[in-house]
Amino acid sequence: MNILLLIIICIITLIGAVYAGYVRDPYAKLIGIGVIGGGVMPLIIARGYADVAAALAVIIPLSTVFVLQLCRKGEP
Amino acid sequence: MSPEFYAGLILLLIGTFVCAFPRDREYLTRIINLEIPAFGLLLVALSFDETLALLTFIAVSTLTTFVLVLLVERRMTA
Repeated sequence: MNILLLIIICIITLIGAVYAGYVRDPYAKLIGIGVIGGGVMPLIIARGYADVAAALAVIIPLSTVFVLQLCRKGEP
Repeated sequence: MSPEFYAGLILLLIGTFVCAFPRDREYLTRIINLEIPAFGLLLVALSFDETLALLTFIAVSTLTTFVLVLLVERRMTA
């Protein structure tokens, strides 16, 4: 049962990666990155690294904010 | 090996291909695509139980994104 859950979460991560790589709109790409983050987080929790997960929960949105700043500036 | 090891390897492959040959040849697209192999490497480091490597890599990856965004911003205004 546990391995099935891990495989499903891995598939979620891969779907997010394929979507973020395929789509052309930068905002949609950021949403795909968010889906990857949502898939990575349970994998880290399942390994028992709650401290790493806490750091990641702060740092992933920070990275998104940086890129979002550039997204807004790139628009005409 | 664990499933996250293989998922990380596939993520690395997808991200590297997409970052090398993006659909839109812009800096912004490449910067966003660069985060996909970073997550793949994160999963591979996770499968080897390297806590310090995980924490350091997460921090440095965000720092790299920040520096690249600053650089591209400066280039777009110039």
